[in-house]
Amino acid sequence: MQKKFIAAVAAAGLLFAGSASAQIKIGFHAPQSGPAAADGKSSTIGAEIARDWINEKGGVNGQKIELVVYDDQNKPDQSVPIANKLIGQDKVVAAISGSYSGPTRAAATVFQNAHIPYISAYGVHPDITKEGNWAFRGVQLGQPQGKGAAKFIADKYGKTSKVTMLTMNNDFGQSIADGFKEEAKALGLTVVKEYTFGLGERQFGPIVASAKADNADVIYAIGYYFVGGPLVAQVRAGGLKQPIVAAQAFDSMKLMEIAKDAAEGIYIVGGMDRGRTTPADFQPFLAEFKKRAGYDAEAVAANCYSSVMLMADAMKRAGSTDPAKVRDALAATKNFAMLTGPLGYFNSVGELYSPLEVTVVKDGKFVGVTVIDDQAILAPPK
Amino acid sequence: MLFVELIVKGLAYGCMYAMMAVGLTLVYGLLRILHIAHAGVFALGAYMVVTVANASGSLALGFAVAVVVSGLAGIAIYRLAYQPILHHAAFVPMVVSIGLFIVMQEGFRMIFGAYGIAFDNNPWYVANLGIAGINLTYVEIAMIVVAIVLVVGFGLFAGLTRAGIGWRATVTDPQMATSFGIDPVRVRYLNFLFGSALAGIAGGLVGLLNNYVEPTMGGAVSYKALAIIVLGGLGSVRGTLIASLTLGVVEAFGAVYLADVFDRDAIGFLFLIVVLMVRPQGLLGRK
Repeated sequence: MQKKFIAAVAAAGLLFAGSASAQIKIGFHAPQSGPAAADGKSSTIGAEIARDWINEKGGVNGQKIELVVYDDQNKPDQSVPIANKLIGQDKVVAAISGSYSGPTRAAATVFQNAHIPYISAYGVHPDITKEGNWAFRGVQLGQPQGKGAAKFIADKYGKTSKVTMLTMNNDFGQSIADGFKEEAKALGLTVVKEYTFGLGERQFGPIVASAKADNADVIYAIGYYFVGGPLVAQVRAGGLKQPIVAAQAFDSMKLMEIAKDAAEGIYIVGGMDRGRTTPADFQPFLAEFKKRAGYDAEAVAANCYSSVMLMADAMKRAGSTDPAKVRDALAATKNFAMLTGPLGYFNSVGELYSPLEVTVVKDGKFVGVTVIDDQAILAPPK
Repeated sequence: MLFVELIVKGLAYGCMYAMMAVGLTLVYGLLRILHIAHAGVFALGAYMVVTVANASGSLALGFAVAVVVSGLAGIAIYRLAYQPILHHAAFVPMVVSIGLFIVMQEGFRMIFGAYGIAFDNNPWYVANLGIAGINLTYVEIAMIVVAIVLVVGFGLFAGLTRAGIGWRATVTDPQMATSFGIDPVRVRYLNFLFGSALAGIAGGLVGLLNNYVEPTMGGAVSYKALAIIVLGGLGSVRGTLIASLTLGVVEAFGAVYLADVFDRDAIGFLFLIVVLMVRPQGLLGRK
């Protein structure tokens, strides 16, 4: 009996302690289990580093930040109840998605209806921000990424280059491919043939055999690193010696582990130059991430870190955690230093403008080559 | 030339399907269970090969451990998951099997990490043999050779040895076989041991081929192997082998010529639907 009483008092004490130090609650959902759990884990660690560093420096407007984290299993049918729970039960004032497009797109509607500012840290489906004016995206859309790649190829290999495209057939891959083909046509590049494959594909022997016969000047590959690793290794094993230009999602140290020497010399348009010293928190972030995760940071971790930082920055600028004021402050963001590159501005639908970094794999590391900063090509579509 | 190369590449992958599907079809023939967790054993084999090979530097040791662990895992699955519920309707073990497969996938994720594991040293991965313009990596060659050796070995065992004949007798008529003194439970254990070891080897080879072992690597294989055994005529080993190789080749051509319309993984099922429309009992199945 006595024990129960003590427990009850302790529980009540905890409850009071919780409400006494007022916290700013920010909702965060990412896949912690299931096939996408790897990226979800990196995203969460990235977001937590941002939370801890903000709090170490005294928090936002005198209040500490609390991340309320849920596992969405990369499923839309999970992210919707999570969004409702974050709003109704946890009473968050803002939310961030550390998840892929599917769950993010579904949750965006809920946050839109509840008027809660929401950032999709790296989900690239165009519809996420189209739900209304409460959703923002912390990463470039696929289309400008693809256009940037076309420009890079035309600049480097000449405007008459013939290109073989290897495209992953999900919404991420398709949107990049669309942008690439549009810009390639405008620049005069020839797309010899486009091969498509699924997210689960690891065997590219038949595609490589056929691509060999196409005899293009450059190969442009779009896919996640776990598809891209086996892909480039098999391209090289199949005897193709053309330069490979790849899309952003190749950016993972796992690429080198999987593809080994075959990864050498691959250009990544939208990559992350690991040797960069700007912004000031970039190198400390890489070190802290490695310490916490035990492996090197991926772009998704940097995206989530920057999204939390951006949300906190908007709250500071708004001088309030009132969702409407935070939303307005987010929309007014100018020249915010993200780890993946400076965020110039948000357009009217919440899409950011940011230059694209091009990296190359050299001695097993991502090294910066150039930066594409061209408003005409990279301006976010509305 | 491309035509020939696509056939060869398709056959190499078909050999992997064969190693995977033979175990499934044997289980079905013996127990009438659609053993989906077999794909979990496939991934388990891959994990054993990659972790042991990375720790010890010996691929051979990796495969040896994979054979033993996968085989024992197969026996454990039979003894602990299937045997207690054999008297239930066929869908009950199937549901159990699906659940078991999900548990195994999440188990790999928790034990080995959400990120996949690559081999530290995988010399055969990119190295390849170019014969008459056809490039085959050493791993693809190994896949073909290993599949032929194991499947032919199994054929000889089933056709010539006493234990093999007992096995076949049990599959054909369990009651008659029992009355001739064959222990059906021992046959089942042997069945799971052999089929699972084969799946483990296939998993290890696919791990080498992709140079990547990931928690979900059994996913696509699980339902494709099911399609194969249905295609081959449920329970028919010969039909399964033919279906495996055919699917490998059909997919190879599909990946190049049909991928704009169908995902490679969908091509197998399209093929399955077409075949079942013409031959509802499968390629070599009996009505």
